[in-house]
Amino acid sequence: MKKILLEYANIIGYTVTGLIFGLSFFLLIINFYHMQELSETISVETYNNDNRQLIEQKINTIKNNISVYSQNSYTGNLNIYGLNTSQIKIQECVNIVESDEMMNYFSKSNIDIRDVYNFTGDFRNNVLNDCLVMQIKSMFNTDTIATLPNYNIIKPYVDLNVNSLVQSVGYIQSNIENSDHYYYSTDVNKSNFFDLTNDSYFEIVNKYQQTLDLLVEVSNWYRTVVVGG
Amino acid sequence: MKKIFNYLFYGLKYLLLIASFAISLFVMMRMNIRLEKSFTSIIPELIPFLLLLIIFVINIILNQKQVTNNLFYNITCCLVLSTILFVGYRAIFDKNMVLNEKYGYGIDFNFFDNFISYIKIMLYGLIVGNIFFMFKERDESKQKKV
Repeated sequence: MKKILLEYANIIGYTVTGLIFGLSFFLLIINFYHMQELSETISVETYNNDNRQLIEQKINTIKNNISVYSQNSYTGNLNIYGLNTSQIKIQECVNIVESDEMMNYFSKSNIDIRDVYNFTGDFRNNVLNDCLVMQIKSMFNTDTIATLPNYNIIKPYVDLNVNSLVQSVGYIQSNIENSDHYYYSTDVNKSNFFDLTNDSYFEIVNKYQQTLDLLVEVSNWYRTVVVGG
Repeated sequence: MKKIFNYLFYGLKYLLLIASFAISLFVMMRMNIRLEKSFTSIIPELIPFLLLLIIFVINIILNQKQVTNNLFYNITCCLVLSTILFVGYRAIFDKNMVLNEKYGYGIDFNFFDNFISYIKIMLYGLIVGNIFFMFKERDESKQKKV
């Protein structure tokens, strides 16, 4: 009887050791895999070149649109305080969008996860907050702008787009931060993580372009207001 | 050949035990300094390391061949301790984990914290496995005496 119990003890010893072997092997391998995933670098040279060209085109369009107004030569009957404010605020936005800090990301040929994370942070702080919220959204909440033509049409459009853009990148930043905790290969993690660098970067650039599209629309409205007025 | 491997892993497990203990102690102490907690709060996390060391010392003193010559057990010990060492290494040196850079502590505590429970499970598992192998040794040594 004692011998059987001791034999069982040996079996349990091997079982416990085997389970621990499996667990540690799993953790070691998944850590190697995770480290490799995080060190992934993607080549974005062509993609960035195309995007930089598009951005420059849109910025030129905005600049052309807002340059139609000059306070000294304006002879229309619209509120010049509203026109001045709009021009300054759109110009402020353009300065942010084409700043070296932001355009620097489009001159990179390779992007890693830290670049994407920093890009997301800068995009949220500079473009979404300082430009869209502080300039464009606040611009449409002033009384002088409210007197300009087609205000009732452009304001809901801007509000809708600004709100959508402001809420659109938070999850990308959270996903990147949560990638530190990746050690179980669940379906959710796979879908969120497997192309984290790639997908997050493309998503942010896409939002960048959408922001510029919105600014183009606002500048088109401004041009129509000035020329029409 | 098996004997050579066994000696190799047998020696390696002591080195890895010291290294993994040192790196875990370092990370946990830095965590405690940041949280302004007393040193005593990390003692429960270090107990399994000390127990494992005591068990290893007992194996040597009592000359328990069934444990010390168990290649599978020695490999598992090396694997477990290597994993702990690797997790500690990543928590300190893997700068691709963005929270490490974001908080600027130099160590990714969030990452290491996730593995503390696994570290304890693995170390206690090694201790339990070792104790069960000891019974077998005692039995065989008695049989030889008879």
